Amino acid sequence: MQDSLSALVERAKSELPNITSRPDFESLKATLVGPKGELTGLMKQMGTVSKEERPAMGKLINETKNALQGLLDATLSGFEAAELAAQLGPAIDPTLPSPDSIAGTRHPLTLVREELNAILKKVGFTVVEGPEVETEYYCFDALNTPATHPARDPQDTFYFPTDAKFSNIDKKVENEKYLLRTHTSSVQIRTMLKGEPPIRIVSPGRVYRRDTVDATHSANFHQMEGLYVDKNVTVKDLKALLDYILKSLLGSDTKVRFRPHYFGYTEPSFEVDLSAKHLSKVNKEWVEIMGCGMVDPAVFDDIGYDSSVWSGYAFGMGIERIAMMMYGIDDIRYFYQNDLRFLRQFG
Amino acid sequence: MKISRNWLQDYVDLTGLTDEQISEAITFLGFEVEGIESTGAPQLENVVVGEILTRDQHPNADRLSICSVGVGEANGDTKRIVCGAQNYKVGDRVPVALIGAVLPGDFKIKPSKIRGEASEGMMCSGKELQIGEDHSGLMLLADRPEVGTPINAALPAGDIVFDIEITPNRPDCQSHLGVARELAAWFRRELRYPSTAPAAAAAARPDLFKDLRVDHDEDCPLYTASVISGVKVGPSPDWMQQRLSAVGVRPINNLVDIGNYVMLEYGQPMHAFDANKLGGSSIIVRRATEGETLVTLDEKERKLTTDMLVIADAEKPVVVAGIMGGENSGVDASTTDLVLEVAVFRRFSIRATSRALGLSSDSSYRFERGIDAHAVPEATSRAIALILETAGGTLCGSTQRIGSDVSWEREVAVIPAWVRSRLGFEIVDADQRSALEALDLLIVREEEGDAGVEWTVRIPSWRSDLDRPIDLVEEILRVHGTAKIPATTVTGPGLLAKDDPIAEFNRRVGAYLIGQNFNECVTYSLRSSAEISTWSGNAAVQPLALDNPFVEDQSHLRSSMVSGLLDTLKLNQSRGNAVSRLFETGRVFIPQKDGVVECAAVGFVIATDGAPAWKERESSDFYTTKRLVETLADNAGVDLARQPHLADDSPASSGWQDAQHTLQGDMRYGWTARFGMLDLAGLKSRGIEGKVLAGIFAILPERLKGGGKRKRFQPFSLQPAALRDVALIVPQSATAGEVLKDLSKFARDVTPKSFALEDVNLFDVYEGKGLPEGAKSLAFSLRFRAADRTLKDAEVNQTFNALLEKISAKEGYEIRQ
Repeated sequence: MQDSLSALVERAKSELPNITSRPDFESLKATLVGPKGELTGLMKQMGTVSKEERPAMGKLINETKNALQGLLDATLSGFEAAELAAQLGPAIDPTLPSPDSIAGTRHPLTLVREELNAILKKVGFTVVEGPEVETEYYCFDALNTPATHPARDPQDTFYFPTDAKFSNIDKKVENEKYLLRTHTSSVQIRTMLKGEPPIRIVSPGRVYRRDTVDATHSANFHQMEGLYVDKNVTVKDLKALLDYILKSLLGSDTKVRFRPHYFGYTEPSFEVDLSAKHLSKVNKEWVEIMGCGMVDPAVFDDIGYDSSVWSGYAFGMGIERIAMMMYGIDDIRYFYQNDLRFLRQFG
Repeated sequence: MKISRNWLQDYVDLTGLTDEQISEAITFLGFEVEGIESTGAPQLENVVVGEILTRDQHPNADRLSICSVGVGEANGDTKRIVCGAQNYKVGDRVPVALIGAVLPGDFKIKPSKIRGEASEGMMCSGKELQIGEDHSGLMLLADRPEVGTPINAALPAGDIVFDIEITPNRPDCQSHLGVARELAAWFRRELRYPSTAPAAAAAARPDLFKDLRVDHDEDCPLYTASVISGVKVGPSPDWMQQRLSAVGVRPINNLVDIGNYVMLEYGQPMHAFDANKLGGSSIIVRRATEGETLVTLDEKERKLTTDMLVIADAEKPVVVAGIMGGENSGVDASTTDLVLEVAVFRRFSIRATSRALGLSSDSSYRFERGIDAHAVPEATSRAIALILETAGGTLCGSTQRIGSDVSWEREVAVIPAWVRSRLGFEIVDADQRSALEALDLLIVREEEGDAGVEWTVRIPSWRSDLDRPIDLVEEILRVHGTAKIPATTVTGPGLLAKDDPIAEFNRRVGAYLIGQNFNECVTYSLRSSAEISTWSGNAAVQPLALDNPFVEDQSHLRSSMVSGLLDTLKLNQSRGNAVSRLFETGRVFIPQKDGVVECAAVGFVIATDGAPAWKERESSDFYTTKRLVETLADNAGVDLARQPHLADDSPASSGWQDAQHTLQGDMRYGWTARFGMLDLAGLKSRGIEGKVLAGIFAILPERLKGGGKRKRFQPFSLQPAALRDVALIVPQSATAGEVLKDLSKFARDVTPKSFALEDVNLFDVYEGKGLPEGAKSLAFSLRFRAADRTLKDAEVNQTFNALLEKISAKEGYEIRQ
């Protein structure tokens, strides 16, 4: 019996390395240690062993059982390793490019707009939106732009035929014409008419001018206009805000100056120049960047705010112009061509 | 407007100020300086006055001479110079560039040999020295400066010309006097007016001019005519020519030049008629009659209409009033007697006529912006004085006038303390007063009131733009200096307001699509009518049309962004960029029965034929666009799957591929979505390669809700789920949506209250072998779960069997075994 046991271990040792599949392994395992296997058969012979030999034989059987289990386990873990190895693909080449798409990008105009929104949000401005199709009242009349003003001329502003109908854009004045807004100041009027001061808003959006397209002009472009209405708003507050915006955007060494100017809806009015020699395309000492001013009392009176109580400031800038300056872009048309080599530089 | 520094000097002493200081002053007064030009000779070294001592024929060239030229002892006495010009003689004095001189254009003068003869310098033309355009010969120095003098010392000093943008509120600054007045205020120097004492008049000459009539005083509130006889037309004096040339006005003759000069001085346009060309010796200010024409000075025939104001003689129109004179009546070299018109025309009348004729002039420009009617007498006297001085002649009778002096009296009350409250910083009373007075805004009364002293300020006639206290705030600040606004920190209220839902929506969908590897684009939103027709049908064309498009292919509002994105796709393809996924957010305009609606929208395109890659990835298809649009809609608070199916009465769109795209929603419910594959033939004719998928979701701005409700936690079961699969054989025509709806309903009906049907998921679609003709198989996985216990097989099986029975009972449905 002792010989049989050691022969059994020997058989396992010689046969197991030749096993290549799990079914073969299972059938061999059955013949070795299964309920009908040889070890079980030998264990059944224990009854024939003399009482004196029994403990030694029992020990031998245990040893044999353990040896067989060890051999079986080793073979099984070999299988498992091979199975896992088979799940792996070929070796990688870390220098091969990923075939997946390159990450998407935000448009530079969106980047600049959102940066400005964030800068303004920090000091309490929220974004308002308004329609691109506007009426003469919201775009001009309410902004103290008389009917004879050149900006209203059909040479400069896109109009719709008198019978055009826009069902979700309300007219303030009967028979006034629809047009494409020339600035987003119209949104400020709508906001003031809808709400009450204090108001602290910024209105970014697309605007339209009848311009020949060239390196600095586009039939549609984007503006960002801000409005603050409250008690005791002063010129000093306006200067502080624009210093803050432009320094936030372009760096704390940016210098800002006000030049008196003229706009129909602000008084006093200013053009704002900045000096930022660290910007690559700004090679002049002072570059005009935006317009601003204190809301003209006539505008307040017209919409029904008491101009002896309320004062305010307004400012507006072209997003393309800011983006061109920030990034050093020299042609406005790049924004609308959307060449991927352009888009991927920013976004 | 071009402003000459020499000219300004007549009215305000600018001595001691650099050009930069003056330019800065103009800038801070509120007028942008667009350029500064210097006229006159540039600074030239080694260019001196020389005298031609001898002139001999060059031995080898017919057109060249060899001259000896005296250049002064200090410069080496005489030089031998070969010269090709012909306009000089021995004894003339000319500019000589000596060896070592560098002329404009980096032209270095070196010793040379010309056709074999040595030359030690060059005699120069005006153009070579950049003192004019004359290149016809040597510049002859007629006033014979001393030989050897550096040329800059011998030539008249140049001028500095500031090119200034005058804002529309300041017509008074369309003149040298106006700008001088501003500079006088800035530098606090005295303003000197030209002398305008009226000239002595001789007897009137009704033979030259007898009748003046104004038919439309509403458009011509003031008209004056002065008669001067016996003038001699000739060139105007050098100083006047130089000033006019410096500011870009070509000198013509003394009469024309004086008109321009006084206009540029006072801002008051004027016109001189040849008295002998005025039919009936009359001037009538009237409207043109039907069919009248006039050949204006620019030699074009103008067709006049009955709303245009003209100056006519007894027979015919001779001037388009305030805009341009006719060829038939102006002064010329033979003029001896003239009638000088100085008038005021109404701004809007001039503007309308100027627009209608497409004709504008320095005169119309000023009338359109408004002129100071009170300057008419002064400007008239000034012009007459200059005519008498430079062209001779006699003033005949007094100036005839129709229309009265427009009375001018305006006072504005302002409280200095209130000015400070508007500015937010201190400008003391004395400084405010000084600023106002510097601008001739005189304080005529002072009264103590509750709010402090109140000033009554008299507004001069040329400042009709000043009408209210706030206008004076600007004047005080301007002259005080905007550079002195103190810096401070931003303050402002914290308001309970949120960003507009459209802005929030655009941010969310932008972030999502960028995460899906889309590149954001911005495209033009004006499109051609053909494009509108392609994407939204013919009926959409007219409602979206602009009245006055600028170019033909940008004549309509966009109804979809797909068109612009396809332009981008094409541009990138043609430039060899591997382009696949593009999107845009913005507005689109959708015609409805009762008018166009402006919508917030997001659109995208996916080019499915990307760049070849070494390893294939699964490509996008219709269902890609479906998931994208579902997510976009979800960001707008719209559940695409849950919307009632609406009858599709929207116009067909030929831009999309039939049976490969879908239209969901309806503007009547506030939103619409279209997605799927674009029309292959259309893409091909557009020049776009490969298949393109696209989607657009548009929603009424008023339907977008901001922020949304705060989410509430929903408890969920931690018990294990029980899964069952079922495959249904259904007619091919049945949509997955219908089957899913039926199956979900059956399953809900049979599931007892003690547990729940959590989800029904379609996981397989099969057609073909093993199925009857015209049928397909849809396989679903159902997930059941109880809130409080592990489900037993038996109860789930019971429910599932009940479900199978329900399915089998439905006509057309069969369980696939």
